[in-house]
Amino acid sequence: MHTENQSPQTVNVAGSASWQVELDHVSVTYPNGTRALSDVSLRIEPGEMVSIIGLSGSGKSTLIRTINGLVAATQGVVTVGPHQVNALSGRALRDVRGQIGMIFQGFNLAERTDVLHNVLVGRFAHLPLWRTLLDLPTKHDRNIALGALDSVGILETVWTRAGALSGGQKQRVAIARALSQEPSVMLADEPVASLDPPTSHAVMGDLRRINQQYGLTVLINLHLIDLAKQYTTRLIGLRDGRLVYDGPVQNATDKDFEEVYGRPIQARDLLGN
Amino acid sequence: MTTTTALTDTTDDIAARIPPKSRQLWRTLVGISALLLFTIATTIPAIGGINIDLASIVHNWHNGYSKMLQMLQPNFDFLPRTWRPMVETLQMALVGAAASAVVSISLTLWAAKPTNPDGLTRSIVRTMINVIRAVPDLVYATVLVAMVGVGALPGVLTLFLFNIGIVVKLVSEAIDSADHSYMEAGRAAGGTQTQINRSTALAQTWPLFANQWLYTLELNVRISAILGIVGAGGIGRLLDERRAFYAYSDVSIIILEILVVVIAIELLSNFIRKRLV
Repeated sequence: MHTENQSPQTVNVAGSASWQVELDHVSVTYPNGTRALSDVSLRIEPGEMVSIIGLSGSGKSTLIRTINGLVAATQGVVTVGPHQVNALSGRALRDVRGQIGMIFQGFNLAERTDVLHNVLVGRFAHLPLWRTLLDLPTKHDRNIALGALDSVGILETVWTRAGALSGGQKQRVAIARALSQEPSVMLADEPVASLDPPTSHAVMGDLRRINQQYGLTVLINLHLIDLAKQYTTRLIGLRDGRLVYDGPVQNATDKDFEEVYGRPIQARDLLGN
Repeated sequence: MTTTTALTDTTDDIAARIPPKSRQLWRTLVGISALLLFTIATTIPAIGGINIDLASIVHNWHNGYSKMLQMLQPNFDFLPRTWRPMVETLQMALVGAAASAVVSISLTLWAAKPTNPDGLTRSIVRTMINVIRAVPDLVYATVLVAMVGVGALPGVLTLFLFNIGIVVKLVSEAIDSADHSYMEAGRAAGGTQTQINRSTALAQTWPLFANQWLYTLELNVRISAILGIVGAGGIGRLLDERRAFYAYSDVSIIILEILVVVIAIELLSNFIRKRLV
């Protein structure tokens, strides 16, 4: 099955510098009038492992999407590394996105195509259009994709249809897709909300390893308090689109979490064991 | 909030709290009667309706009876003469379907909102497709026969235009109503819409395409049997010729043959379709 893939290249994530992320008085109001973010300011240093917690509807997804410009900030300044994301569009915005990896709650894979082609999506920003059109990635791009798959331990699924994988495998393909971008920042929007507890720990472990091994800046949206405590070092709390907590994880008390959630902590706010 | 504990105890309470359902029976009745009256009115010549003279069925009964008798005795000796035109019909159907399939891919992706967020180009393609669809196939065939001459070419061109209209319209609407979460990942990775379409959207939507391509092939066999009547090649030309000679036994064998071929193509495409999904 794999003849020429014996030595997939190790992903050169460490080669690209890790970036800082800065939001300066950022607000987002959607066209339908919903105010999703209100005057949020924060600064994340390169190499930090940050969780953003809050109930659904608190603005977590919006916040993380302003960082790669999938949602445009209606006010304020979003700076990622040397780029002011909210001022970019077209080619320049795509180039910056190419350096920001992202994984999603629903995995967002093209389920009818094989794993390799899904991972190669991460090379979009590096491939000229004709190569995509003719489905002719360079050997270099292919090796990066295979190396990314290998680094999350599912190289053997390379020719499998993405739709035939388990949830945990799908999220790993998504992580490989993001890694193959050789990113400077990694965003994760509720990456374990569709997974069972053991798989959730495995995926969180992968994200922590990416952070520690490559020194990559990682931002994770979570609604489970214990996962945030266990895997991340800094906590950002959102409530109704406002920043209500920002500090090291070990300093966060139950009272802080209750402030973020606006109610007492319940069993469903924890993944358990 | 009720204080009763058993679920069934709340029945009376619920009956009082159900919001009133607006009764619109009379509206439905008025609507149906209006439609009925209008339909009847269209058959009254005195007020500009069409003239349906049911009596002519009775008057011309013998005429129809003798033709039916001839039709019920298909002339099997005529079969060998139908092979070549039938093969031509099948060739026209296949070439028309294949050519339109190739062209339909990019047109469809331009006509669907998820694969083409640009409103201007999308509405240009959609308008073009609607114009193509507005012209009936026999009109295309008649005009094209006048333009490029009698034969298979105007037939193929007619089928091509007809199929483009069907595939682009139906598949782009199916794409519009489907979920495309994978596109967000492509966008987040810095991909252009064209890249996203080529490497992911195409793989996701190709069963929709394949289904409609097979459907157009089925339709083409049926339609190309008729196109010959206006001179656009195939079995229809032979059918028209035999009819002009009042050779109804030949006509009926041709109709039988078309029936068999159409059913065979349908069975074949159903078989392929099952394999696809």
